Amino acid sequence: MDRQIRPIYEALDTNSNKSAILACNKVLKKQPNNLLVKALKALALVRSQKVEEALVLCDEVLAAKPADEATLAAMMHVLRGLGRHMDMVTMYDDAYKQQPANEELGTQTFFANVRIGNWKAAQQIATKMHKQFQDEHYLYWNVMSALLQAKDPNTPETLRPVLLKLAQRLVSQSPTPSYYNADRFHLHVTVLKELGLYDEAYELIESEAGKIICSQFLMCEELRREIWKLKGLTKEAGERAEQQILEVKDRNWLEFLAVLDATFADLTVEGADVESAKGSSSERITQTRELFGKVVEQDGVKDRSGHLALLELEKRCRHHGLATDSTTLTSLLESYFQHFGGKACCFEDLKPYIELEGEDLATWTSVLEKQTAQATSVPDLWRFINAQKLLRYNLTEAQLTPEAETQRAVQCLNAYLEGLHLGKDLPSYELQPADDLAVLAAQIFVNIWKRTGDQTPLYNAAALLEYATTKSKMSYQIRLHLIRIYRLLGLPSLALEHYRGINVKQVQNDTLSHFLLSRASTFSLAATGDITYTNECMETSRIYVSNSEETSEFIVRAFGGEKYSQIPDFILFEECLDNSLQRDLIKMEHVRMRIAHEAINSELVDMELIELKFIFDRLHHDNRDFSILANYQPRCGASFIDQTESLEKTPGFGWLWVFLKIYIKAFQLASDLDDTVEDKLLIGDRPKPSNDPETKLPLKERLTKRKQEEINELSSDEAAFYDYASALSEWLTPYHDYARPPPSVVLAEAAKLTEQKTGHTLKGLELPPDAATNGNGKKDEEPPAVVEPPASISKHFDDVLQRFKEVLDGKAVPFELLHVVTLAQEAYLLFAIETTRFKTASVIKQNKFGGLSQHIKDIRNKSTAVINEMSGALLNRAESEATQESRKAVIEACKPIIHESGLDHDFVLNVAKKITDARKQIYDGIGKGMAKLAKTYA
Amino acid sequence: MSVTRSFKATDLFKFNHINLDLWTETYAISFYLSYLSRWPDMCAVQETPQGRMMGYVIGKAEGTGTERHGHVTALSVAPEYRRLGVSRRFMAWLEKVSDENYRGLFVDLYVRCVNFAAIKMYEGMGYSVYRRVREYYSNLGLGHSVRDEEDGFDMRKPLPRDPMRRSVRSNGRDIVVSANEVP
Repeated sequence: MDRQIRPIYEALDTNSNKSAILACNKVLKKQPNNLLVKALKALALVRSQKVEEALVLCDEVLAAKPADEATLAAMMHVLRGLGRHMDMVTMYDDAYKQQPANEELGTQTFFANVRIGNWKAAQQIATKMHKQFQDEHYLYWNVMSALLQAKDPNTPETLRPVLLKLAQRLVSQSPTPSYYNADRFHLHVTVLKELGLYDEAYELIESEAGKIICSQFLMCEELRREIWKLKGLTKEAGERAEQQILEVKDRNWLEFLAVLDATFADLTVEGADVESAKGSSSERITQTRELFGKVVEQDGVKDRSGHLALLELEKRCRHHGLATDSTTLTSLLESYFQHFGGKACCFEDLKPYIELEGEDLATWTSVLEKQTAQATSVPDLWRFINAQKLLRYNLTEAQLTPEAETQRAVQCLNAYLEGLHLGKDLPSYELQPADDLAVLAAQIFVNIWKRTGDQTPLYNAAALLEYATTKSKMSYQIRLHLIRIYRLLGLPSLALEHYRGINVKQVQNDTLSHFLLSRASTFSLAATGDITYTNECMETSRIYVSNSEETSEFIVRAFGGEKYSQIPDFILFEECLDNSLQRDLIKMEHVRMRIAHEAINSELVDMELIELKFIFDRLHHDNRDFSILANYQPRCGASFIDQTESLEKTPGFGWLWVFLKIYIKAFQLASDLDDTVEDKLLIGDRPKPSNDPETKLPLKERLTKRKQEEINELSSDEAAFYDYASALSEWLTPYHDYARPPPSVVLAEAAKLTEQKTGHTLKGLELPPDAATNGNGKKDEEPPAVVEPPASISKHFDDVLQRFKEVLDGKAVPFELLHVVTLAQEAYLLFAIETTRFKTASVIKQNKFGGLSQHIKDIRNKSTAVINEMSGALLNRAESEATQESRKAVIEACKPIIHESGLDHDFVLNVAKKITDARKQIYDGIGKGMAKLAKTYA
Repeated sequence: MSVTRSFKATDLFKFNHINLDLWTETYAISFYLSYLSRWPDMCAVQETPQGRMMGYVIGKAEGTGTERHGHVTALSVAPEYRRLGVSRRFMAWLEKVSDENYRGLFVDLYVRCVNFAAIKMYEGMGYSVYRRVREYYSNLGLGHSVRDEEDGFDMRKPLPRDPMRRSVRSNGRDIVVSANEVP
């Protein structure tokens, strides 16, 4: 037997799925009922994407209720590959019931429940296992499961304290005290904390053993701080922190915060007598100032904490009206700048303390203005950079005239070019110390554009950043700036080039891809067959597959290794990634590109419909990293990221919701699937809908709900598109509903297809005997009367054309032009999706929809004409790009930054060439794509 | 000066500005989770008062007998927070954990032979080259000799449990082993 099985495992181990299948078939010929081999064959089939065939085998094995470990293990992989975690639980449950003395089976059953977050069942299994096998770690599995169940949003409010008390009782039953293991200890304290038993928790952490654990394990130390806070031990924490600072020389900022909190403790107590509290606090302030002064004296420039703590103290004094000397703050700032102005972090450190006005501001400004650009060392250079950032932060509206800003930009640029000398001997892969001056100059240019609407500063920013990126090849900051600017300038190929230069990997695909893929369909040339951006969406989305395949395994491992402290965070991480907003924003963009690229048929429509409906039940997490992009704009105006946001509206939860509604509705109309059919055709588990009460409402109602806060996230063009989409679907719904074939017919058709493909019938499907032959039977009701389409549908295309003409001739950035154009194309495609059903002559005839057909034709002709007109104009515009004149215009625009050497005329000419070529490419591609679509759907 | 706290799984959403650096690799999710699920006490973060991550360290404990030691798998500090003693605090902390929690005899780490700044820093902290490991890294294409770029130094520092300094040697740079001879 072993001799026959081994080659199968070997083939599977080396991923030779084909030979694994062959080897399985060989054995199955002689032993057609060998469960293990069937399971292994199913696994090989799943891995070769032959899902339908795998399903048949999988169901056979499950029906036989396997109980041997080898088969179970193979099936675990099969079911995981198919996303059928529920079946995995059932399978192990059955096996464990057959062999209740099998500890390994118990463990696997527990893990199967852990993978799907079924804490209630997990807790019951752990209870059973602890009784039977007596091992203490089952007791703690039980405690952890109870705690997780108590924290699960699906658990009723009243049950939570019961579960927590159960957890507490269980811990107290443990024969060995929890402090023998840091993670058990952590879990024990957490349970007490959740129950609000702070005194008991305090006792535990302040015990001899508890103190040692907290000193050795950071996560326990964090819990200690929390318990102290919850117990209201602010003053005691302050005293303890003071000791730490003085005796152990601990420079953890949390210790300084503890001292500060204690200093003002009397004032922050609710209902305190403010006057007497002020008195006692004043005394403490003096003591605290002395303490921090001592630290400053000891540390000098070696550590920033004492200096920063003095600033924080003064800030809080001012807040409580306890500041005695009005010059203290500015002199502390000055001192800080003198000590740490040479460090890159100085600006970030001081930002919370420099929101100054009047005299304070004047004093502070004069300190900073003394800093000259002549830098003979890197710290010198940093002092100048920090001074510029700090000065800029406090600039007022009146100081931001285009002339003054241009002057500042040029000053920063000159200092940058000068500063390059300091790094001229660095290896090419190192960052130049002067980089931030280039970034500053670029941000100033962007600010000018934002205030005047004149696009020429954007070209200055782009050209100087292109130069900076040749000097600092590894700077992601410079590249991110270029991506933001190139997107505004409608240059997706250049944005992509720099995005690739950053080398985004793994989980960063979730947090950083928004820089490239936000509203990416605006830039997609999918209609012409160029699927660069479509592929980018696919590649980026891979991380979500590896998350759902891998992360739950580590939750299991953390249970196995008793690292309870990590489990809640692993669960949160998995959930944040699984329900990532960016994931589904990418998905939405992908759908928008796909319909321009592929034939709109039932395969596309049905699949996307099911997927989008799943997404519509999710509660999303926004993991996008916006903070990575530096901001040096004055505090009186918008930040750099907001300034460079396409159309000033960042797609978020509301934006996604609107587009989901639009497309779910459109695909619903086009599809023959209804819910009953969908359930039959679904392979994996249906995802649990989120706890949002909204998901409990009927889908129909949810789809028609219009919410202002969602619409607020749309650009005006997107909002108009939403109105159009709503009007269109509302008009067509009755005709689709009437003409759609009944479920039995649809299922029969699906069954026929499956049978053709696999040779097996669709599982669990019982068709009424006449369904397959009956075809589209006569309906009982009369067809709905055809009514005129609302005028807004046809008018939408007039309005779009009008908008197009405006942006084509106006001052709008190229992004806006592309936005208008691609949304027009999308409106056209949406019309095609929702009217394909009525293109079939028999549908029109059978349902007496002759009148409808004429209405559709009218709108189609009208919209086709508009699309063709826009395409023509765009192609014309493309011709005028990439000419000598257009290049000259860019060079002319860049006059303020052109220098004699390095960043010279030739360099800028090259950038101009890149820009104009890329512009031509996108206009040309979008124009041709539209013409092609107009031909396909005319 | 910073806030030192434990490394959490959700920190993977926040470490971009640290990882977009030539010397720092962004690994698969499973890499980080496998460390957190075994040695959560050897992974830490330092952040600014404003809550921005400055850097992180990921370590593990391995070896038995006289080979029992702490290992620094990854240590990275964002460029804007360098020269502030962040790495020094991480290393001191990891040495303490290796000693107290795992009773290790030394701490070791690998570094590219061409990462001169890092080598100098570790030497300043009392680490010395124990051996040179051939072809330990992939090529970065920086223009150094291929051998220097792909080879790594195994650097070590003895802990109090090794008072005789048996875990280090003075001629480590001359001892060359191949990558498959090291764990």
